[in-house]
Amino acid sequence: MKRTEKITAAAVMTFIIAFSAVTLFGGRCEIPKTGKNVLLDGGFSEGIMNCTAENFPMKNKWRSVGAGLSSKVGEPIVNGVYIADDRLLSVGSASLEDMDSAAEFVNDFTENYGGAVYFAAIPTSTGIYGDTLPSYLLPVTEKQQADRLYEKLSADIRKIDAYTILKMLSDNYIYCRSDTRWTSYGAYCVYRTVIQKLGFIPVSYDKYTIRHVTDSYHGNLYSRTSYMESKPDILDIYEYDDGTLIEECSGIDRDGVRRRIIPYDESNSGYELYLGEPMPFVKIRTTVNNDKKLLVIGDKSADCFIPFLTKHYSEIALISAQCAEGDIEKYVAFDDYEQTLFLVGLDSVAEGILDNIK
Amino acid sequence: MTYSSLLFIYIFLPAALGAYCIVPKKLKNVALLLESMIFCGFMGLKMLLFIMLFCAANYIAALFIYSIRPKIRCIPMAAAILFDIVMLVSFRAEDFSYLHGFMRLSEGAFPWGISLFTLSAIGYLIDVYKGNIRADKNFVRFSLYIMMFPRIIMGPAVSYDIFAAALRKRRFNIAEIGAGLTLFIKGLAKKVILADQLYMLYSASMSGDFGSTSAAAAWLGVISYMFCLYFTLSGLSDMGAGLSRCFGYRFPSSFSYPIFSGRIRVFASRWHIQIIHWFRKYITRPLSSMTDDPLLSKLVFAGVWSLAGFWYGFSWGGVLWGGLMGIAIMTENKLRKFKLLRSNGIFYTIPVIMILSVFLALGDVSDAFRCLWTMVGGSGILADSMTAYLLRSYAVALIVAVYASTDLFRNTVTRVKNSRLGWTLSVLTPIAMLGLLCICTSLMAYSGYSEMMIIKL
Repeated sequence: MKRTEKITAAAVMTFIIAFSAVTLFGGRCEIPKTGKNVLLDGGFSEGIMNCTAENFPMKNKWRSVGAGLSSKVGEPIVNGVYIADDRLLSVGSASLEDMDSAAEFVNDFTENYGGAVYFAAIPTSTGIYGDTLPSYLLPVTEKQQADRLYEKLSADIRKIDAYTILKMLSDNYIYCRSDTRWTSYGAYCVYRTVIQKLGFIPVSYDKYTIRHVTDSYHGNLYSRTSYMESKPDILDIYEYDDGTLIEECSGIDRDGVRRRIIPYDESNSGYELYLGEPMPFVKIRTTVNNDKKLLVIGDKSADCFIPFLTKHYSEIALISAQCAEGDIEKYVAFDDYEQTLFLVGLDSVAEGILDNIK
Repeated sequence: MTYSSLLFIYIFLPAALGAYCIVPKKLKNVALLLESMIFCGFMGLKMLLFIMLFCAANYIAALFIYSIRPKIRCIPMAAAILFDIVMLVSFRAEDFSYLHGFMRLSEGAFPWGISLFTLSAIGYLIDVYKGNIRADKNFVRFSLYIMMFPRIIMGPAVSYDIFAAALRKRRFNIAEIGAGLTLFIKGLAKKVILADQLYMLYSASMSGDFGSTSAAAAWLGVISYMFCLYFTLSGLSDMGAGLSRCFGYRFPSSFSYPIFSGRIRVFASRWHIQIIHWFRKYITRPLSSMTDDPLLSKLVFAGVWSLAGFWYGFSWGGVLWGGLMGIAIMTENKLRKFKLLRSNGIFYTIPVIMILSVFLALGDVSDAFRCLWTMVGGSGILADSMTAYLLRSYAVALIVAVYASTDLFRNTVTRVKNSRLGWTLSVLTPIAMLGLLCICTSLMAYSGYSEMMIIKL
């Protein structure tokens, strides 16, 4: 049967060499730079393996096929994402103790701050739709995490129960199917409660003109699985013309360079539609004539929430706990703001992003 | 870098085969050694240096043993073996990680294959000491014995004379590459398609504490562990043997469908064949030959199995697994006179193997007993919805695993090969191999490699 073996060798080697050539010469990912220590310890090996995976021809198609196969042969979990019938859900392993250091940070902040502090812990899609997951995948629910966090926060902090609001509305399109984050409608539902706590009357839903910017948004969970059978999402813009305008919107990027931001810039892809690419600090000045200023310390959930607030405040400063590092006073003087709102996803709290800032 | 990675399959392997192909015949061993050094270099230059020093130390020790008077040979041999054992223990035993600290290695850094190449080196030293073989003066050949990249991760741990014979009988041609690639892809599929899925099933089944785990979930966890261990080890072993064959070297396979054996003894003789043979050749036989007392012989037998278990797990659980395996084999030998056992061996062999694997799986003896207690319903829950969900989700993986653990497919292929339809294999084999390679590639496409590893050897 030497003929069989020769044909196998020719077929398999041709296949391997063809993909090898495209991986080597057609890739965009650069081979990671290697220092002495990395070479000595072998850390470069993982970098090169990742680079090979990134440069591999038709990687998204391969990944999609892999996701489909994995879910057929075993559990529908791919790269930490559960493929449910109608949506993708992130499977994490947070513990209740993860909440304690975040609570400690917020309590310290409140103690040294003259104004009022509000805290809204935002669940992820897993927090709201996690009931469909097998119980062993969620040893601690996001509801339990939120309860623990609020229990540990000092009494001076006004807590906003975003979880209950969103859970009650879970039959609506409040969360992206392919992303951990909420939709504009989900953000609006929480905005109604938050803005009342902050002392304003919310803009009613019927006053907004809702525009579908795209109906083919593939979110962060899709990126992790490349599962092509997952349904894409719709990204909306909520517009309300009451005469107030955004006068200035700018941010400071990771390199410390100030950049102009165009909110609702449709040329930006995905979630960057709302406030552009992630930056440590964003400042928005509006034509609202009330001298009210709000400091928001948030994460990726805040992006589609902030535009709702622009109808109420003359100035909003947003510190992204995900991007900012070290002392945040270099961006903003806290005393200029009479109110501070923490708007942080429970997944981000569990990841300890508040530990990044001081 | 492991065999089951895109980097290895699509970059390293074609480059290594290409380079090996173009170098002249007499330089092929040097080329293979250089390629093996690059392969080991992916573990880090410190690891490469460590393996090179390990080779050099054993090479010099063997030459020294061979060159001195037989009466005093035991001293350098004992010293060299002690050195090898210290190296092995330093990397594998958590309580003796001094070397790890001394080399300032990053967390998790590990010289893959250290368990295998240490056994190879010790066997070589003993053979030289006994005068079974001459100490090889060729450093390239000896280094290849220790660190040849197709062998380093999972052997097979053949003795030096078999290895040297394989080097001499090199048959490097397109048909051998084809046969090697077929074996490699078969091993890759075992690891990436089956072992990885079964590892997830094992992790899911054992995710809770034993007090709240159902008996069915515990059984499912133990069964998936055993299958996962088998497909990981035999997959890596097949990949290694296939790669060796691509480069023209034929080595025997390490597993021969052990799971559904009709006797515990048969299971033991089909499981990791060269390793079990190594322990028998270098430890059991010399120790047994020193005594005529049947009880002592039995103790030696069980003790050596314990040692083999320790080698697998570096834990008390591993020791107990090995010891109990030894006792089970001896008990079976005693009870084989009963006709019932002879005709229905599979019905007791599988449960015994599964139950004993609990010790190997958990490592900690008290955890293992808690798990066994749960398996007999000690938690008060016989089955739950989670087990039903896991069974439903992994039904395909389990069915394929059971089928792939038997020799049914191999027998079918042999029958077809010998029939009039034999020619169809020329068409179907390349298609099947390409199909399997594509499936494995798609499953590795996320991270670039197959991540789950149930055991570090």
